[in-house]
Amino acid sequence: MITAGLVEALTGIVGARHVRTAPAERLTYARDGLPTHRRVPAVVVLPGSRDELAAVVRLLAAHDVPFVPRGAGTGLSGGALADGAAVLLVLTRLNRILSLDPSNRVAVVEPGVVNARLSAAAAPHGLHYAPDPSSQTACTIGGNVAENAGGPHCLKYGVTAQHVLALEVVLADGRVVELGSPSGEPWGPDMVGLFVGSEGNFGIATRIAVRLLPQPRAVRTLLAAFASLRAAGEAVSAVIASGIVPAALEMMDQSCIRAVEDSVYAAGYPRDAAAVLLVELDGHSDDAVVAETETVHGLLSAHGAASIRVAADARERERLWQGRKKAFGAMGRLSRDLVVQDAVVPRSALPEVLEAIGRIAATYQLTVSNVFHAGDGNLHPNISFDARVPGLRTRVDAASTEIMEACVAAGGTITGEHGVGLDKLRYMPLIFDAESLAAMRAVRRVWDPEERVNPGKVVPVHACREWSGLRIADRGLRIEQQARSPAQSAIDNPQSAIAPRGAR
Amino acid sequence: MIDRGGSEALDTCVHCGFCLQACPTFLATGDEADSPRGRIDLMRALETGELAPDDPALRLHLDRCLGCRGCEPVCPSGVGYGRGIEAARAMLATRRRPPALARAALRALTSPGPSRIVYALARMLRATGIPRRLAGWGRFRFAMGMLAATRPTRNAKRGTRNTRAAASSAFRVPTSALLFRGCVMDGLFSHVHDATVRTLGVNGWAVGETPGQVCCGALHAHAGLREEARLLARANVAAFGEGDVPIVVNSAGCGAMLKEYGHLIGAAGFAARVRDVTELLTAGGGPRPGAPVDVQVAYDPPCHLLHAQRIADEPLRVLGAIPVLRIVSLPDAAQCCGSAGLFTLLQPAMSRAVLAPKLASLRTAAPQVVATGNPGCVMQLGAGLAASGLSAAVRHPVELLDESYGAAGYYA
Ligand SMILES: Cc1cc2nc3c(=O)[nH]c(=O)nc-3n(C[C@H](O)[C@H](O)[C@H](O)COP(=O)(O)OP(=O)(O)OC[C@H]3O[C@@H](n4cnc5c(N)ncnc54)[C@H](O)[C@@H]3O)c2cc1C
Ligand code: SF4
Ligand code: SF4
Repeated sequence: MITAGLVEALTGIVGARHVRTAPAERLTYARDGLPTHRRVPAVVVLPGSRDELAAVVRLLAAHDVPFVPRGAGTGLSGGALADGAAVLLVLTRLNRILSLDPSNRVAVVEPGVVNARLSAAAAPHGLHYAPDPSSQTACTIGGNVAENAGGPHCLKYGVTAQHVLALEVVLADGRVVELGSPSGEPWGPDMVGLFVGSEGNFGIATRIAVRLLPQPRAVRTLLAAFASLRAAGEAVSAVIASGIVPAALEMMDQSCIRAVEDSVYAAGYPRDAAAVLLVELDGHSDDAVVAETETVHGLLSAHGAASIRVAADARERERLWQGRKKAFGAMGRLSRDLVVQDAVVPRSALPEVLEAIGRIAATYQLTVSNVFHAGDGNLHPNISFDARVPGLRTRVDAASTEIMEACVAAGGTITGEHGVGLDKLRYMPLIFDAESLAAMRAVRRVWDPEERVNPGKVVPVHACREWSGLRIADRGLRIEQQARSPAQSAIDNPQSAIAPRGAR
Repeated sequence: MIDRGGSEALDTCVHCGFCLQACPTFLATGDEADSPRGRIDLMRALETGELAPDDPALRLHLDRCLGCRGCEPVCPSGVGYGRGIEAARAMLATRRRPPALARAALRALTSPGPSRIVYALARMLRATGIPRRLAGWGRFRFAMGMLAATRPTRNAKRGTRNTRAAASSAFRVPTSALLFRGCVMDGLFSHVHDATVRTLGVNGWAVGETPGQVCCGALHAHAGLREEARLLARANVAAFGEGDVPIVVNSAGCGAMLKEYGHLIGAAGFAARVRDVTELLTAGGGPRPGAPVDVQVAYDPPCHLLHAQRIADEPLRVLGAIPVLRIVSLPDAAQCCGSAGLFTLLQPAMSRAVLAPKLASLRTAAPQVVATGNPGCVMQLGAGLAASGLSAAVRHPVELLDESYGAAGYYA
């Protein structure tokens, strides 16, 4: 229960300015990047340090009050929302880059560091942080870890999970543990891999050690226009089948192209094309990259590209990418309200699925725009609508569900990178049976037996790098029987993957 | 259709968050209630009645908005934040008069009678050199620093009001333009007006005076006093009359406001004539190069030039016409300095918090001169530099060009 006494105690830890209780202030935290969900938190707390955060969590545990971590609130599944019974812990003030070691290519950051600011800090050393979600100028590394965020360049370089080396985590009871090791070679099971993508259900990441990569020396970016979605989809398959791994391979349809071209981020995409592909090739030798560019150029023409443009310089390349990355925001121009979906389908199924989405849009008379990571089959259909029109919301929901069903039927799944959060809870049963869902819950309870962190949102464990082949159901149940948290086992055995602070 | 007074400009917000890192107040507190996206939520709640106009938390966070519009050029959805916040402030002002301090400041600085006395006294005080010595932190000492920053630098050519420049040095027949004098600019920065007239003269513009003009009304509009702003706007439209002679402005805040007269009172024709001085100087490939000035300059773009008027390159091209002058770049130059009209007086704590990162990057860049084209920014940066013990002077870009032209003998 949240009492006046509790609020006073919170104030004692973080200071009155950093505890927000006024309705107006709480209201500004009621939504994230997917504004169709709205929950007003009971209290908002902005801790200024890891120690303050841990003290707050201990206090909340003692009062048995649930809480939700929040980074920049750009999530697209309603994950960072807390309701009237919970406290929202906002991590924006934990925004220091604690160390940046160019020779070992490792940076250690607090969770509130904004993704693009980390790359900017690494740039003078010729390095960058590779995962580049389109929201990178706003979203936080903590939020990226929680969602296992991807981005255009993750096609070649891998998603967040491939770049996180070690984590410091505040568990639900306020204990602070370390997962992994900055060398990237931990003992025992891959706890970092398990935590990445846990959507705030396993605890709060307070320090994050990430790998930095050298900036590629040679880069070429192509923009190809197509007269149909199908042709563009087939060109994607052809590029991948050629064995070349582009740094990025992105698709945008006409409605999306036009929204971007109307915005301040206009990139010169051809307005009359049914779809454009943005392909980037990079590497360390210019010759090799030029040769690959020629091959890709040939493949794109062979698959019906109406025009192909190669960016002349870094400036033009940046403009082409800015247009792509701001596309979701630009969609606001089409209508007042917007829902975005996030499904993954096998690349070979792209042409069929895109056509199916077109048919569903026509049936429900809705505007659906597509902008997505084509190279890994990660679709983002955006439905634009005006929620003030009576009955429209129901139609949008029905169309969303039908789109999801079409993706699942094509052998796909319900989230590529935005997570389940609140929004996709309803689709979980489309792909998991009851036993699997129970197992996931059991895994969550290992970390957070009382389900106090980010309650009411289901753990998909989609980022688990090493467990993916295991029968999660069996394992999860066994862990629940033991009813031991990882932190407890770590205290018994400091050699385990999770060591209490100071044990190393 | 109901007239929503500008709130409709907020409708396209999709909550993506791209504006967060562009907002100086969000960067200062990390609190979404101090972010553009959060304030849009507040304004929407105000419009729908979910929050009452006298809600203290709502007022606090809307009052803490600088109105710098740094959130606009980064918004992919084209949200008209500036119009939205002025509509919200106008609505709040109908419920509660702006604070006494704001009203007193407006009267002292913008009303023709009293302001003449205020500025005369201020100039006398400035001439004693006392403000320079008192400059520092704290409300009073910061205000002294602001006043000290308005003082023309020694090597600036002293001109009189109607200094006639050597328009003859231009080959073409001079084109006419009319100078907008403003209130603070006229009271404390007449040397910038003189430099404007002279440098434009060299570039083929004959700049004339317009009697009957008044304050642009920007400070009133920001405070939610829309009717007062409209009265001033109508007076200016009447004073400048019909025709298409460009109206030249050297204060970014005034320029942005004058360009808004279309929205404010339907005077789109007037708005279309308004040009920043750097726009006129760079028209047709200008400005004409001057003599070398050996100085290191950091350009700090005023928000109302960069974000509101989207003028980015022109001031740099003006500085580029000065041989030898070196421009040092400032990281996050696009961030507001915290001046924001009356904001520095009304919200001193937030204003200083926004200024702090700017001063930190100036300390690192260590320029000899900071160039910026807005009176509020000159005063805020000048006071901040003085209080931090940094010796850089703050000047309008045309002052530097004027010095270069003077050295070149164009005025001989
Ligand atoms: C325009 C736009 C484009 C986007 N593009 C992409 C894209 O290309 N790829 C992609 O993957 N995503 C994308 N997203 C989604 C979103 O940006 C990512 O999910 C991002 O990782 C969220 O970061 P955040 O800081 O905003 O987190 P929030 O939204 O604040 O939180 C997201 C989740 O993480 C949890 N969380 C936050 N911090 C922590 C922490 N320190 N420890 C534990 N849990 C925590 C929260 O509880 C919540 O469940 C996009 C979003 C927008 C609006
Ligand atoms: S960038 Fe624009 S659309 Fe996105 S949250 Fe900010 S104001 Fe809204
Ligand atoms: S106008 Fe400036 S201070 Fe106000 S919300 Fe926009 S960026 Fe922030």
